[in-house]
Parts: sequence; C-alpha cells; structure tokens
Amino acid sequence: MRKLPIKIPESLKKKAKDFWYGKPHGERRLGELYEDKTGLYKHREWRGVADTNYAFLVWLRAVGVAGKLALSVPVPVVRALLRYRWMSTYLTGIAWIDRGNEGLHGEALRASMEHYYAMFYDSVRQLISQFRADSHLRLGVKNLFWYKTLDHDETIPGHLFYGFPEAYDDILAQLTTCFLNPHVCRPTITHYIDAVESIGLPADPCPLCAAEAGLCVLDDYPDFSPVFLTTNQACDGSVGTSIIQDMYWNKPLYAMPQPMRFDDPDVQQFCIDEIRGAWKFIEEQTGMKFDMNAFKKKMAAYNQLTRFEREKWDVAANTPYYPVSGTAQALYRIFYSEVGERKIWHRTDRRVKALMDRCIEKQLRPFPMTRHRALVWSCAPLYYSYFPTWLYNCWGIQVVMNMDSLMSDKVVRLENEDEMMEDLAQLFEWGPMRRMAVGGQQHIFEIWENYEKFHCDMVIMFDQVACKSMDGIHGVFEDEFRRRGIHAIWVPHELMDHRTVERAEMRRAVNDYMATVMQEEPLDPSLVEIDDSMSW
Amino acid sequence: MKDLKHLIYFENLLQEANNELVVRAKEEGRLALGYTCYFMPEVLLDLPGCFSVRLRAPRSTSPDIATYYMTNRTCTYGRSLLERALEGGYNFLDAELATETCTVTCRFQEHLQMMNIISNPKFFCTFIDVPHKKGGTTYEHYRLQLEKHVLAPLHEKLGVDVSDGALRTAIAQHNELCRLITQIGAFRKLDRPTITGFEFSLIQLVTLCCPKDLILPYLRETLEELRTREPDLKPQYRCKVLLAGSENDDPYFTKLIEDSGALVVADRHCYGSLPGREEIEIREGETALAAVARHYLDTSMCPRFMNQDVMRERKGYLADLAKEYKADGVIVEQMKFCEYWSYERVVDTIILQRDFGLPVCSIEKEYVNGTSGQLRTRFQAFVESIEIKKLQEVGKA
Repeated sequence: MRKLPIKIPESLKKKAKDFWYGKPHGERRLGELYEDKTGLYKHREWRGVADTNYAFLVWLRAVGVAGKLALSVPVPVVRALLRYRWMSTYLTGIAWIDRGNEGLHGEALRASMEHYYAMFYDSVRQLISQFRADSHLRLGVKNLFWYKTLDHDETIPGHLFYGFPEAYDDILAQLTTCFLNPHVCRPTITHYIDAVESIGLPADPCPLCAAEAGLCVLDDYPDFSPVFLTTNQACDGSVGTSIIQDMYWNKPLYAMPQPMRFDDPDVQQFCIDEIRGAWKFIEEQTGMKFDMNAFKKKMAAYNQLTRFEREKWDVAANTPYYPVSGTAQALYRIFYSEVGERKIWHRTDRRVKALMDRCIEKQLRPFPMTRHRALVWSCAPLYYSYFPTWLYNCWGIQVVMNMDSLMSDKVVRLENEDEMMEDLAQLFEWGPMRRMAVGGQQHIFEIWENYEKFHCDMVIMFDQVACKSMDGIHGVFEDEFRRRGIHAIWVPHELMDHRTVERAEMRRAVNDYMATVMQEEPLDPSLVEIDDSMSW
Repeated sequence: MKDLKHLIYFENLLQEANNELVVRAKEEGRLALGYTCYFMPEVLLDLPGCFSVRLRAPRSTSPDIATYYMTNRTCTYGRSLLERALEGGYNFLDAELATETCTVTCRFQEHLQMMNIISNPKFFCTFIDVPHKKGGTTYEHYRLQLEKHVLAPLHEKLGVDVSDGALRTAIAQHNELCRLITQIGAFRKLDRPTITGFEFSLIQLVTLCCPKDLILPYLRETLEELRTREPDLKPQYRCKVLLAGSENDDPYFTKLIEDSGALVVADRHCYGSLPGREEIEIREGETALAAVARHYLDTSMCPRFMNQDVMRERKGYLADLAKEYKADGVIVEQMKFCEYWSYERVVDTIILQRDFGLPVCSIEKEYVNGTSGQLRTRFQAFVESIEIKKLQEVGKA
C-alpha cells in the first residue's frame, strides 16, 4: 500500500504540542496576559490540557468555598460587606490564587496551588466564625457564639488555645481583617494606614502595626469575643498597637509578652508563666475550663505538621525536586503556624507529600528553568507576596527558602508537663520575624548558615523600609555580602503600603542587578517591564 | 535670677562623654561602665570601684558612618551613639551593660559587641532581658537577669565586689543623690519656680554622666544656693509646661522651649528625673538586689509595659504630675523613628486633652534640636494658645 503524501506542517505540530502541554518557559510571554496598568488578566493562562484543567478545578473549588461562606451566614455576610471596608478585599480572593501560581506547571502547580487553596479555605472558615459571633452585625446583640469565641493577636499562635474545647473558635484578630488584605487586594489596606496617621501617628512605624491600629481608629474590627489577648511580637510597633487597641476597644485585655533574649535558659520560666497566666485569664473571663488532655491531643496533631515541615526543608535544601514555589512556601508556612491545628493542613500536607515523593522518585524537576537558587531574607512585601513567582518566571531565580519559614519549628514534647511547657514557650518565642530579628544579632546572621544549608547562590534581601530592626543592622549585611562574595539583591518595599515603593520599583532592583552585574538575559522578556500600577 | 555658681561647669561637663570627672575617676583606677536605658539600674554600675556613664553623644552633627550601618530610617539617638563610638568617643569604657528594650539602641549596642569598636582590651558588652510587664513573677525574672548578666560578669571579668554589702553602699550613695535631685527639682513646683527647666536638665544630666561621688559636692552646694535663690520679679516665661516623651538628653531642646516662652517644670522622659530619681527602699527581709529589681520595674513609666492597668495608669501619672508641678500644658515629644513613643505620643495627645482637659503640644524631634526653627514656631504657637485659653477662662469668670 502506498502512504498518503500528507505532511503535517511543523508549525501545526508545535501548536498542537503547545495546546496539549503548554508553551515552554521561554515562549510563554506571561506579561502579555495582563491588561495594561490594572494587571487584570485578559484571559486565563493556558498551561496545557491537564494543568489548565487542574488550575480550573481549584478555581471551581475556591468558588464553592466562597459560596459556602455566603450560604452559611448569608445575612451577616451581606452586612459585613456593607459594614467593613476590608471585606471588599475578598471579592478578588480567587484572582489571588491565580496570581500566586502564575506560570507554574506540573507538580509545582499542584503542590503550590494546594497550599493556596488551603489558605483560602481556612480564611473562609475564619470569616464565617467571626461573622457568626460578631455583635456589630447584630445591632450590638451578643449571642452565645460571642461569649464562646476567643480573640487574639495574629502573632499569638493558635496552639495556646487548644485546651479550650468548649470555645466555639479562636480567631486571629488581624489575619483576615488586615494581614491578608494586601496579599489579595493591595489598595484596601492603605485606607487604614491613613486613618491612624490622621490621628497623629507618623508615617515611619511598621505599616502592618499601623494598619492594625487604623482598623481600631475606624472601628472596623468585628466584635466577636468578650476578651482580647495580645503580645509584643514581633516588634516595638506591636507593643504600640496594643496601646491603641486598649484605648479603642476598652475590653478585658491580657498581654502575654515574650522575652526578648530567648536563647537564655533563665527567661523560659517567664514565658511559661505568661502562657499559664493567659489560660487563667480566659478561665476567669469566660468561665471555660482549660482541658489539658484536649490540649495535648491537638498539640500532638500539630507536631505532625512541624515534622512534615522539616521534611520539606530537607528536600528543598538537598535536592532540585522540591515542588513548592517560594511564594506558596512562605505564605502557607506563616499562615498555618499562626492559625494552629486544623484538618485542612493535614489534608494539604498529605497531598503535597505525595507530589514531593513523586518528584523525588521520578527525579522530576518542578522548576526546570532554575538558574539561581535564592534564599529570601528579612520580611517580605505583603502587597507583592507573589514576587518569588515573578522572580522565577522572569529570571529563573528560584526562591528555595525564606526567612520567616524557618521559625516555630519546635516539636513539643508531650510526655512530661514541665518539658511540654518549656517547648511550648520556645515555640511561642520562635514566632515569625522575631525568631531572627530579636534576641541578639546572631539570629539574623543565621542567614550564612542557611545560605549554605539550602545550597543557594543568591540572596534576595528584602529591605522593608520601615523595619527598624533590619534597618538597624543594614551595613553589617552589606559588609558581609561583600566579604563572602555573595550575590545579594536588595529589594526595597514597605510591607503593606505600595504607595511608598511600587511593585515596579521592586522588579527594577532585580532587573538592574541581573542585567548589569549578572549580565543575564530574562527568561521571559515580557515580564521585565510591566505597568501594574493600578493593579489589585 | 542670680546665676547658679556651678552651672557653666555642669554645662561644660556635658560637652563630652569622656568629661573631666570621668577622666579623673579613670585616673583613680575606677572602671567606667556604660549604659543607655533606665532598665539598666545605674546603681548596680556604681558599685565600689566603678562608676556609671549613661551614654550621650554631645555636639553631634551628621552621623554619616552610622547611617551606612543603620540607614537613615532609624532614630538619630542610636545613630549618633554609634557614630560617636566609631569616632573613638567611648574608648574610655570598660564595659557596656546593655538592654534589649528598644530596637535601635539594642542594635547600637550589638554593633559594640560584634564590631570591636571600643579600643579597650578589657571591654565587653552584655545584655539583659527586661520584661514587658510589671508585677507577679516579673520581679524575680528581672532580678535573675541582673544577677546573671550584670553582677556576675562584672565580678568575673572585672573583679568588682558585687556582694550585698557593696550593693547597699552603692544604694546609700544613690539615694543621697536622688534626695538632692528631688529637693532641687521641688523648686520647680513653686508658684514662681526658682530654677529653670534648662538649669535643672543640666543638673539632672550630669548626675547620669559623671561619677556620683565626684558630682555630689557640687549638687550639695547647688541645693544650698537654691534655698536662698530669689525668683525674678517679673517672670521670664508666659506659661509652665510638662515635658514628656522619649529619649531626650539635649538640654538645649529644653532651652528652645523656654526661649519660646514656656517654663519646663517637669521632665517625664528618658534621661529625665520623673521617674528616675526616687530613693530605693530595701524592705525587711529583702536583698539589696531584689529591692533594686522591684524599684526599677515599679517606678518606670516606659511605654513598653503592656499590662492593661499599667497602660492606663501612665496617663493618670502624667496628669498628676501636671497638677503637682502646676503645669498649664504638656509637650509630648517623640524621637523621630521611635516606635514606642510614636504610639504613646498619639494616645497621650488624645487622652490628656479628652480625659484630663490638658492642652497638649505633640511633636517629633531629632537628637539635636537646639536651632530648629520649625519647633520654635510650634512652641510659640502652643504658648499663645495656652495664653488665649487663660484669657478666655478669665473672661468667663
């Protein structure tokens, strides 16, 4: 038989391949997906059949979760949308998942999106719990949920409340109302910074603390609990915020500051006393009894999360097979460690472990275009938390680990109560930011050890312009980078307030360094210059 | 008023950290121990054979090298101290007893610790942890910190006698100084005070920066002088104010306020005397160190304390001081980039006016301010507003 003389053109073959698998990294031109200035997507990213379907499925699951919020407390949700300015943030919530996972494929897409979905899911849970108990949404009426919900600072981890099974929920006051806002939709938070500055606060204190205080000034926190627990974590600004909170809320407040010199064995008792003091305060104020067995049970479950976190670090440090993006790693770590034990984290970890094991077993490189392995140090910009995703897509800089992931990694011993309290104190003391930023300069200089450990060849040094702790040690970093011959790119930002340092300025710092010092070409030139000045 | 005999001498002593009396004490073989914060009890650094020096950076200009190390986004106090250290201005120190109480001064002291700046082979820097709360177990926590991180290294590294007896000797000397300062400060409570805020700030500052035993004779003489000092027939001021706020070791800032027409009658700020110059009481059955720990936690009015009652009590304390010292208004100052006082100043400004009816002038300042035209204008306007208020009250009556 004679073969038919049909020859499929190469261009068609290529198109079919791109359709089925998605375009290879250098050809994606992700920057062309955006509308100019607003940064809105012209259309969803095509990542090949399987990956696009997966991403769309996660999108659908997220829509379902948002629907659950609307249906479980429909009236309070509508009232909340009208009552709280920050609620408008969540109208763009699903786009947050898309942005954070832009350009990812295969296992990297799946592992990173699982993290994002879990955070989205838990944020919705927290919103439901708040609105169910919020007296502001019930004309000042305090229902049963109000009396049984615990309100605490977002830097007091959820672990400390495991012993109150009678509690309806414990909520981190600023997580959904403040901290997440710039991640999801950056303009909503600046209003609160302006509010606190309008009563006289200067523009230089940490903008996260300032925004938290601004919510007090505008009475924009839900009122869902008879008490509030606060702490000095992570900095002087947090102490200042507590002063404002007390002035505006005027409800029983328990401060549980942690010692600053936390390496000192002599300070542990103080921290333990504060934890016990907090439990006693809750018992006295709410009538709920502390249950040690309930506490231990949940803590044991939380320990599993910590163990898996260490396993993740080990894979990230020693192999090229770690499937979690720098963005997802940083956000998820800080999110779940502060919220504390929840089933969703275990479900997510199981899925991520399966993906990670598959990558190792099959030697799949989830970030195949990696040119540099970077360690991110100092506090990250909340209004550009997906900056590591851009770093990889544009320049092939893969963020392997970030400073704030490397905290709270204490597995709490549960057999002996004294040991348990010691470990719990240390877990609390090793919180985000303060783990490295206080207690002696040796902590912040753990960067050198981690730089080696994670086999990095570059440091992305975030320069949070309002962070006094990091500003106060800036020059020694400069000296050491030079002395050690480390490529360090200083990226300025102002944490919550994009008006001080725009995203474009942050990208420019990297572009300049990569073009002039490294003399490299971008992997995706369409991402080098983007105008997203009016973006979410 | 007649000039105080030693005022120029006091002023000259404040022109250098390593001043004439410090040099003399060093020549006598005594150890110079530096510190920056009230939470490092100076009395422990005034043990026999030692003397305390609360660090200042007088006559500072632009802290250029320190700005490289600490950026221009940290307070000029911390940067000026580092600049002075880099210039060699603290090479007389034998040790720095440090506290991690506010971020920037902590970072300054960490630079001393890690950069080998002080040219003195014996020099060391040690830190203590200071609780953010008062009461309960905090006293014991603080006492233990003082014992392990202050007394133990002083004894082990410098051979200082840190026995209870030595502590009691230091406390006795400290209490005498506090009595003198309190008596001198009390002249500010008079209807027509016989000491100005500027004069008092010079006196208070020399007690922090000079060996106590060497400055005491001058203080005794000054107190005697003040007992017979007559006020001006016509007051040089138009109103009286209380100065509250963050770190301020610049007497010329007080002078700037007074040149604008307001007499500073009370000083509730870091390096001030309210609180700070209360006598230490050793209770029955208490060790001297325990008494020191209790005293410094109880007397401090620092905004880093987080107990709910203490946060509220601080405002009442200011209002009480204003009443006791017959102040017509309050100036709340804040060192630019000081986060504690950024918040505390805002809250003070609101609450003192709203709950206590006190006029408040709320300002940000730098480390050196003597020639600030902007601040002068602010103070002049504040003085005028107080005068107008007084006139309106007279009109109503």
